[in-house]
Amino acid sequence: MGTPESSREPCPDRILDDVGGAFAMGAVGGSAYHLIRGIYNSPGGARLSGGVQALRMSGPRSGGSFSVWGGLYSTFDCALVYARQKEDPWNSILSGAATGGFLSLRQGLGASARSALVGGVLLAMIEGVGIMLNKVQSTAHNEQFMEDHAATSLPYGMGQISGQSVPVPETSSSSSGSVSWFGSLFKKKKETEDHHSESRTHILESFDAPPVPTYEFK
Amino acid sequence: MAINRSSDHESDENTRLYHPYQNYQVPIKSQYLYKLPTSPEFLFTEESLKQRRSWGENLTFYTGTGYLAGSVAGASAGIFSGIKSFENGDTTKLKINRILNSSGQAGRTWGNRVGIVGLIYAGIESGVVAVTDKDDVWTSVVAGLGTGAVFRAARGVRSAAVAGAFGGIAAGAVVAGKQVFKRYAHI
Repeated sequence: MGTPESSREPCPDRILDDVGGAFAMGAVGGSAYHLIRGIYNSPGGARLSGGVQALRMSGPRSGGSFSVWGGLYSTFDCALVYARQKEDPWNSILSGAATGGFLSLRQGLGASARSALVGGVLLAMIEGVGIMLNKVQSTAHNEQFMEDHAATSLPYGMGQISGQSVPVPETSSSSSGSVSWFGSLFKKKKETEDHHSESRTHILESFDAPPVPTYEFK
Repeated sequence: MAINRSSDHESDENTRLYHPYQNYQVPIKSQYLYKLPTSPEFLFTEESLKQRRSWGENLTFYTGTGYLAGSVAGASAGIFSGIKSFENGDTTKLKINRILNSSGQAGRTWGNRVGIVGLIYAGIESGVVAVTDKDDVWTSVVAGLGTGAVFRAARGVRSAAVAGAFGGIAAGAVVAGKQVFKRYAHI
Protein backbone atom coordinates (compact mmCIF):
# COMPACT_ATOMS: atom_id res chain seq x y z
CA MET A 1 0.00 0.00 0.00
CA GLY A 2 1.00 3.60 -0.14
CA THR A 3 1.75 3.94 3.52
CA PRO A 4 5.24 5.06 4.40
CA GLU A 5 7.19 2.38 6.10
CA SER A 6 7.09 2.97 9.82
CA SER A 7 9.18 0.06 11.02
CA ARG A 8 12.31 2.05 10.20
CA GLU A 9 13.27 5.62 10.88
CA PRO A 10 11.66 8.30 8.73
CA CYS A 11 13.64 9.13 5.69
CA PRO A 12 16.48 11.59 6.15
CA ASP A 13 17.35 10.14 9.56
CA ARG A 14 17.50 6.68 8.06
CA ILE A 15 20.77 7.54 6.33
CA LEU A 16 22.57 8.28 9.58
CA ASP A 17 21.05 5.23 11.18
CA ASP A 18 22.12 2.95 8.35
CA VAL A 19 25.63 4.39 8.19
CA GLY A 20 26.13 3.88 11.90
CA GLY A 21 24.57 0.44 12.00
CA ALA A 22 26.53 -0.77 8.99
CA PHE A 23 29.80 0.60 10.33
CA ALA A 24 29.24 -1.01 13.72
CA MET A 25 28.31 -4.35 12.17
CA GLY A 26 31.20 -4.31 9.75
CA ALA A 27 33.74 -3.18 12.31
CA VAL A 28 32.73 -5.68 14.98
CA GLY A 29 32.33 -8.59 12.58
CA GLY A 30 35.44 -7.71 10.63
CA SER A 31 37.44 -7.35 13.84
CA ALA A 32 36.45 -10.79 15.02
CA TYR A 33 37.19 -12.31 11.61
CA HIS A 34 40.57 -10.66 11.23
CA LEU A 35 41.58 -11.40 14.82
CA ILE A 36 40.96 -15.11 14.31
CA ARG A 37 42.61 -15.04 10.90
CA GLY A 38 45.63 -13.17 12.27
CA ILE A 39 46.02 -15.60 15.16
CA TYR A 40 45.81 -18.52 12.74
CA ASN A 41 48.27 -17.09 10.24
CA SER A 42 50.89 -15.72 12.64
CA PRO A 43 53.99 -17.72 13.49
CA GLY A 44 54.05 -19.44 16.87
CA GLY A 45 55.10 -17.20 19.73
CA ALA A 46 53.70 -14.06 18.12
CA ARG A 47 50.16 -15.27 17.63
CA LEU A 48 48.34 -12.85 19.90
CA SER A 49 50.26 -9.78 18.79
CA GLY A 50 49.86 -10.78 15.14
CA GLY A 51 46.14 -11.24 15.63
CA VAL A 52 45.77 -7.87 17.30
CA GLN A 53 47.78 -6.22 14.57
CA ALA A 54 45.58 -7.77 11.88
CA LEU A 55 42.53 -6.58 13.80
CA ARG A 56 43.81 -3.02 14.04
CA MET A 57 44.68 -2.90 10.38
CA SER A 58 41.58 -4.48 8.91
CA GLY A 59 38.76 -3.98 11.40
CA PRO A 60 38.11 -0.31 10.65
CA ARG A 61 38.55 -0.92 6.95
CA SER A 62 35.79 -3.52 6.80
CA GLY A 63 33.58 -1.25 8.87
CA GLY A 64 34.23 1.53 6.40
CA SER A 65 33.35 -0.51 3.37
CA PHE A 66 30.16 -1.73 5.00
CA SER A 67 29.12 1.76 5.90
CA VAL A 68 29.85 3.15 2.46
CA TRP A 69 27.44 0.56 1.11
CA GLY A 70 24.83 1.24 3.79
CA GLY A 71 25.04 4.98 3.49
CA LEU A 72 24.86 5.09 -0.29
CA TYR A 73 22.07 2.53 -0.28
CA SER A 74 19.84 4.48 2.06
CA THR A 75 20.68 7.76 0.33
CA PHE A 76 19.51 6.31 -2.97
CA ASP A 77 16.52 4.79 -1.18
CA CYS A 78 15.45 8.13 0.21
CA ALA A 79 16.00 9.84 -3.12
CA LEU A 80 13.79 7.23 -4.78
CA VAL A 81 11.13 7.57 -2.09
CA TYR A 82 11.03 11.28 -2.75
CA ALA A 83 11.03 10.91 -6.52
CA ARG A 84 8.45 8.13 -6.77
CA GLN A 85 6.36 9.14 -3.74
CA LYS A 86 5.94 5.59 -2.56
CA GLU A 87 7.80 2.95 -0.64
CA ASP A 88 7.84 -0.50 -2.11
CA PRO A 89 10.37 -3.28 -2.77
CA TRP A 90 11.35 -1.71 -6.10
CA ASN A 91 12.94 1.16 -4.22
CA SER A 92 15.28 -1.20 -2.42
CA ILE A 93 16.12 -3.15 -5.54
CA LEU A 94 16.79 -0.04 -7.60
CA SER A 95 18.86 1.59 -4.90
CA GLY A 96 20.88 -1.60 -4.43
CA ALA A 97 21.63 -1.59 -8.15
CA ALA A 98 22.44 2.12 -8.07
CA THR A 99 24.80 1.65 -5.15
CA GLY A 100 26.62 -1.21 -6.81
CA GLY A 101 26.93 0.74 -10.02
CA PHE A 102 28.04 3.95 -8.35
CA LEU A 103 30.74 2.28 -6.29
CA SER A 104 32.48 0.78 -9.32
CA LEU A 105 31.91 3.72 -11.63
CA ARG A 106 35.61 4.44 -11.86
CA GLN A 107 36.39 0.98 -13.19
CA GLY A 108 34.48 1.72 -16.37
CA LEU A 109 30.94 1.34 -17.61
CA GLY A 110 31.09 -2.42 -18.12
CA ALA A 111 32.28 -3.16 -14.62
CA SER A 112 29.76 -0.68 -13.28
CA ALA A 113 26.87 -2.37 -15.07
CA ARG A 114 28.00 -5.78 -13.86
CA SER A 115 28.17 -4.76 -10.23
CA ALA A 116 24.89 -2.87 -10.53
CA LEU A 117 23.35 -6.15 -11.66
CA VAL A 118 24.89 -7.96 -8.70
CA GLY A 119 23.63 -5.31 -6.29
CA GLY A 120 20.12 -5.39 -7.72
CA VAL A 121 19.89 -9.17 -7.62
CA LEU A 122 21.23 -9.25 -4.07
CA LEU A 123 18.70 -6.73 -2.84
CA ALA A 124 15.91 -8.45 -4.78
CA MET A 125 16.72 -11.68 -2.97
CA ILE A 126 16.75 -9.94 0.40
CA GLU A 127 13.44 -8.23 -0.36
CA GLY A 128 11.91 -11.49 -1.53
CA VAL A 129 12.82 -13.22 1.71
CA GLY A 130 11.45 -10.25 3.65
CA ILE A 131 8.16 -10.31 1.78
CA MET A 132 7.77 -14.03 2.38
CA LEU A 133 8.42 -13.63 6.10
CA ASN A 134 5.96 -10.77 6.16
CA LYS A 135 3.28 -12.89 4.52
CA VAL A 136 3.75 -15.63 7.06
CA GLN A 137 3.48 -13.14 9.90
CA SER A 138 0.58 -11.18 8.50
CA THR A 139 -1.62 -14.21 8.02
CA ALA A 140 -1.35 -14.85 11.74
CA HIS A 141 -1.67 -11.15 12.51
CA ASN A 142 -4.66 -10.60 10.27
CA GLU A 143 -6.84 -13.14 12.03
CA GLN A 144 -6.18 -11.49 15.34
CA PHE A 145 -6.75 -8.07 13.79
CA MET A 146 -10.13 -9.07 12.46
CA GLU A 147 -11.17 -10.41 15.86
CA ASP A 148 -10.15 -7.18 17.59
CA HIS A 149 -11.82 -5.24 14.90
CA ALA A 150 -15.17 -6.94 15.20
CA ALA A 151 -15.17 -6.38 18.93
CA THR A 152 -14.31 -2.73 19.25
CA SER A 153 -14.08 -0.90 16.00
CA LEU A 154 -17.42 0.55 15.07
CA PRO A 155 -17.24 3.84 16.97
CA TYR A 156 -13.66 4.41 15.92
CA GLY A 157 -13.91 3.23 12.35
CA MET A 158 -16.20 6.01 11.22
CA GLY A 159 -13.72 8.85 11.04
CA GLN A 160 -10.97 9.14 8.50
CA ILE A 161 -7.71 10.94 8.85
CA SER A 162 -7.27 13.22 5.90
CA GLY A 163 -4.00 12.89 4.08
CA GLN A 164 -2.98 9.76 5.89
CA SER A 165 -3.78 6.38 4.53
CA VAL A 166 -5.54 4.22 7.00
CA PRO A 167 -6.23 0.55 6.44
CA VAL A 168 -9.83 0.72 5.32
CA PRO A 169 -11.90 -1.73 7.34
CA GLU A 170 -13.12 -3.71 4.40
CA THR A 171 -13.55 -7.40 3.98
CA SER A 172 -10.98 -7.80 1.24
CA SER A 173 -8.13 -7.60 3.74
CA SER A 174 -9.28 -10.82 5.33
CA SER A 175 -9.37 -12.66 2.04
CA SER A 176 -5.63 -12.26 1.53
CA GLY A 177 -5.14 -14.75 4.34
CA SER A 178 -6.75 -17.58 2.45
CA VAL A 179 -5.18 -17.05 -0.99
CA SER A 180 -1.74 -18.43 -1.80
CA TRP A 181 1.33 -16.23 -1.57
CA PHE A 182 1.68 -15.51 -5.23
CA GLY A 183 -2.03 -15.01 -5.66
CA SER A 184 -2.16 -12.49 -2.88
CA LEU A 185 0.91 -10.76 -4.30
CA PHE A 186 -0.86 -10.08 -7.56
CA LYS A 187 -4.13 -9.34 -5.87
CA LYS A 188 -2.53 -6.77 -3.65
CA LYS A 189 -1.06 -5.01 -6.60
CA LYS A 190 -4.44 -4.63 -8.25
CA GLU A 191 -5.94 -3.48 -5.01
CA THR A 192 -3.51 -0.64 -4.59
CA GLU A 193 -4.38 0.60 -8.02
CA ASP A 194 -8.05 0.60 -7.12
CA HIS A 195 -7.50 2.66 -4.02
CA HIS A 196 -5.00 4.97 -5.59
CA SER A 197 -6.81 8.17 -4.85
CA GLU A 198 -7.23 7.24 -1.22
CA SER A 199 -4.02 5.57 -0.32
CA ARG A 200 -1.60 7.73 -2.21
CA THR A 201 -0.78 10.95 -0.48
CA HIS A 202 0.40 14.09 -2.16
CA ILE A 203 3.71 14.30 -0.29
CA LEU A 204 4.87 11.46 1.86
CA GLU A 205 4.51 12.11 5.56
CA SER A 206 8.11 11.37 6.31
CA PHE A 207 9.08 14.61 4.65
CA ASP A 208 6.81 16.96 6.51
CA ALA A 209 4.77 17.28 9.65
CA PRO A 210 2.21 14.62 10.46
CA PRO A 211 -1.32 15.50 9.37
CA VAL A 212 -3.76 16.85 11.89
CA PRO A 213 -6.56 14.33 12.41
CA THR A 214 -10.06 15.61 11.79
CA TYR A 215 -12.94 14.12 13.64
CA GLU A 216 -15.57 14.64 10.99
CA PHE A 217 -18.03 11.88 10.35
CA LYS A 218 -18.49 10.81 6.82
CA MET B 1 11.20 5.54 38.82
CA ALA B 2 11.69 3.37 35.82
CA ILE B 3 9.99 0.40 37.40
CA ASN B 4 7.11 2.55 38.51
CA ARG B 5 6.62 4.01 35.08
CA SER B 6 6.57 0.72 33.30
CA SER B 7 3.88 -0.63 35.57
CA ASP B 8 1.88 2.58 35.14
CA HIS B 9 2.23 2.28 31.45
CA GLU B 10 1.04 -1.29 31.47
CA SER B 11 -2.03 -0.59 33.54
CA ASP B 12 -3.31 2.70 32.15
CA GLU B 13 -3.43 3.06 28.41
CA ASN B 14 -5.03 6.50 28.40
CA THR B 15 -2.33 8.34 30.30
CA ARG B 16 0.69 6.72 28.77
CA LEU B 17 3.79 8.74 27.99
CA TYR B 18 4.13 10.16 24.54
CA HIS B 19 6.01 7.91 22.16
CA PRO B 20 5.63 8.64 18.46
CA TYR B 21 6.08 5.13 17.14
CA GLN B 22 4.04 3.29 19.71
CA ASN B 23 1.30 1.03 18.31
CA TYR B 24 2.16 2.18 14.84
CA GLN B 25 2.57 -1.02 12.87
CA VAL B 26 1.37 -0.67 9.33
CA PRO B 27 -2.07 -2.19 9.76
CA ILE B 28 -2.91 0.32 12.48
CA LYS B 29 -5.26 -1.30 14.89
CA SER B 30 -8.40 0.75 14.94
CA GLN B 31 -8.61 0.65 18.70
CA TYR B 32 -5.38 2.65 18.90
CA LEU B 33 -6.21 5.19 16.21
CA TYR B 34 -7.83 7.87 18.33
CA LYS B 35 -6.36 7.00 21.68
CA LEU B 36 -3.88 9.81 21.45
CA PRO B 37 -1.63 10.36 24.46
CA THR B 38 -2.82 13.13 26.73
CA SER B 39 0.21 13.57 28.97
CA PRO B 40 3.34 15.47 27.95
CA GLU B 41 6.42 13.50 27.11
CA PHE B 42 8.31 14.63 30.21
CA LEU B 43 6.78 16.30 33.24
CA PHE B 44 10.00 16.71 35.19
CA THR B 45 13.52 17.27 33.99
CA GLU B 46 14.77 14.28 35.97
CA GLU B 47 12.56 12.12 33.86
CA SER B 48 14.09 13.38 30.64
CA LEU B 49 17.55 12.78 32.05
CA LYS B 50 16.59 9.28 33.01
CA GLN B 51 15.09 8.28 29.70
CA ARG B 52 17.88 8.08 27.21
CA ARG B 53 18.58 6.36 23.94
CA SER B 54 18.90 2.60 24.04
CA TRP B 55 22.36 1.15 23.57
CA GLY B 56 21.68 0.18 19.99
CA GLU B 57 20.49 3.65 19.03
CA ASN B 58 23.41 5.12 20.93
CA LEU B 59 25.80 2.95 18.94
CA THR B 60 24.35 3.79 15.56
CA PHE B 61 24.07 7.49 16.40
CA TYR B 62 27.64 8.05 17.57
CA THR B 63 29.16 5.77 14.97
CA GLY B 64 27.16 7.18 12.11
CA THR B 65 27.78 10.77 13.11
CA GLY B 66 31.48 10.08 13.54
CA TYR B 67 31.83 8.26 10.25
CA LEU B 68 29.89 10.85 8.26
CA ALA B 69 31.68 13.81 9.84
CA GLY B 70 35.09 12.18 9.46
CA SER B 71 34.61 11.18 5.86
CA VAL B 72 33.14 14.54 4.80
CA ALA B 73 35.97 16.43 6.50
CA GLY B 74 38.60 14.07 5.10
CA ALA B 75 37.18 14.20 1.60
CA SER B 76 37.08 17.98 1.57
CA ALA B 77 40.64 18.17 2.91
CA GLY B 78 41.63 15.69 0.22
CA ILE B 79 40.18 17.88 -2.51
CA PHE B 80 42.54 20.69 -1.49
CA SER B 81 45.56 18.44 -1.24
CA GLY B 82 44.66 17.06 -4.65
CA ILE B 83 44.50 20.55 -6.11
CA LYS B 84 47.85 21.36 -4.52
CA SER B 85 49.48 18.37 -6.15
CA PHE B 86 48.74 19.55 -9.69
CA GLU B 87 51.76 19.69 -11.93
CA ASN B 88 52.44 21.60 -15.09
CA GLY B 89 51.16 19.86 -18.18
CA ASP B 90 48.42 17.88 -16.44
CA THR B 91 45.42 17.19 -18.64
CA THR B 92 41.92 17.68 -17.30
CA LYS B 93 41.47 13.95 -16.93
CA LEU B 94 44.66 13.72 -14.88
CA LYS B 95 43.54 16.60 -12.69
CA ILE B 96 40.17 15.00 -12.02
CA ASN B 97 41.89 11.74 -11.20
CA ARG B 98 44.25 13.44 -8.78
CA ILE B 99 41.34 15.08 -6.95
CA LEU B 100 39.28 11.88 -6.85
CA ASN B 101 42.19 9.77 -5.65
CA SER B 102 43.33 12.05 -2.89
CA SER B 103 39.86 12.95 -1.63
CA GLY B 104 38.79 9.33 -1.73
CA GLN B 105 41.79 8.18 0.21
CA ALA B 106 41.63 10.93 2.83
CA GLY B 107 37.89 10.54 3.24
CA ARG B 108 38.17 6.79 3.71
CA THR B 109 41.00 7.08 6.23
CA TRP B 110 39.42 9.78 8.34
CA GLY B 111 35.97 8.25 8.16
CA ASN B 112 37.25 4.93 9.43
CA ARG B 113 39.29 6.58 12.17
CA VAL B 114 36.53 8.80 13.55
CA GLY B 115 33.93 6.06 13.08
CA ILE B 116 35.97 3.71 15.23
CA VAL B 117 36.33 6.44 17.86
CA GLY B 118 32.54 6.84 17.86
CA LEU B 119 32.04 3.08 18.12
CA ILE B 120 34.40 2.74 21.10
CA TYR B 121 32.90 5.81 22.79
CA ALA B 122 29.33 4.56 22.41
CA GLY B 123 30.26 1.14 23.73
CA ILE B 124 32.06 2.49 26.79
CA GLU B 125 29.36 5.04 27.55
CA SER B 126 26.59 2.45 27.37
CA GLY B 127 28.65 0.16 29.58
CA VAL B 128 29.28 2.88 32.16
CA VAL B 129 25.60 3.85 32.24
CA ALA B 130 24.60 0.20 32.62
CA VAL B 131 27.01 -0.30 35.52
CA THR B 132 26.56 2.94 37.46
CA ASP B 133 22.94 3.67 36.46
CA LYS B 134 23.76 7.38 36.18
CA ASP B 135 24.13 9.67 33.21
CA ASP B 136 25.90 12.95 33.88
CA VAL B 137 29.09 14.79 32.97
CA TRP B 138 31.28 12.18 34.63
CA THR B 139 29.88 9.42 32.46
CA SER B 140 31.00 11.29 29.38
CA VAL B 141 34.38 12.08 30.93
CA VAL B 142 34.98 8.44 31.81
CA ALA B 143 33.85 7.34 28.36
CA GLY B 144 36.14 9.87 26.68
CA LEU B 145 39.05 8.78 28.85
CA GLY B 146 38.48 5.14 28.02
CA THR B 147 38.06 5.90 24.33
CA GLY B 148 41.36 7.77 24.13
CA ALA B 149 43.17 5.06 26.06
CA VAL B 150 41.80 2.23 23.91
CA PHE B 151 42.35 4.11 20.66
CA ARG B 152 46.03 4.72 21.40
CA ALA B 153 46.61 1.51 23.37
CA ALA B 154 48.95 0.03 20.79
CA ARG B 155 51.38 2.94 20.94
CA GLY B 156 52.44 2.29 24.50
CA VAL B 157 51.33 3.25 27.98
CA ARG B 158 52.49 6.85 27.83
CA SER B 159 50.72 7.62 24.59
CA ALA B 160 47.57 5.89 25.82
CA ALA B 161 47.60 7.93 29.02
CA VAL B 162 48.02 11.20 27.13
CA ALA B 163 45.27 10.30 24.68
CA GLY B 164 42.99 9.21 27.52
CA ALA B 165 43.49 12.49 29.36
CA PHE B 166 42.83 14.39 26.15
CA GLY B 167 39.68 12.37 25.43
CA GLY B 168 38.33 12.83 28.95
CA ILE B 169 38.93 16.58 28.89
CA ALA B 170 37.43 16.90 25.42
CA ALA B 171 34.28 14.94 26.31
CA GLY B 172 33.82 16.91 29.52
CA ALA B 173 34.31 20.17 27.66
CA VAL B 174 31.74 19.20 25.04
CA VAL B 175 29.13 18.32 27.67
CA ALA B 176 29.84 21.45 29.71
CA GLY B 177 29.75 23.58 26.56
CA LYS B 178 26.42 22.05 25.60
CA GLN B 179 24.93 22.94 28.97
CA VAL B 180 26.28 26.48 28.84
CA PHE B 181 24.92 26.82 25.32
CA LYS B 182 21.52 25.57 26.43
CA ARG B 183 21.39 28.01 29.32
CA TYR B 184 22.55 31.19 27.62
CA ALA B 185 21.56 30.78 24.00
CA HIS B 186 17.82 30.27 23.72
CA ILE B 187 16.93 28.69 20.47
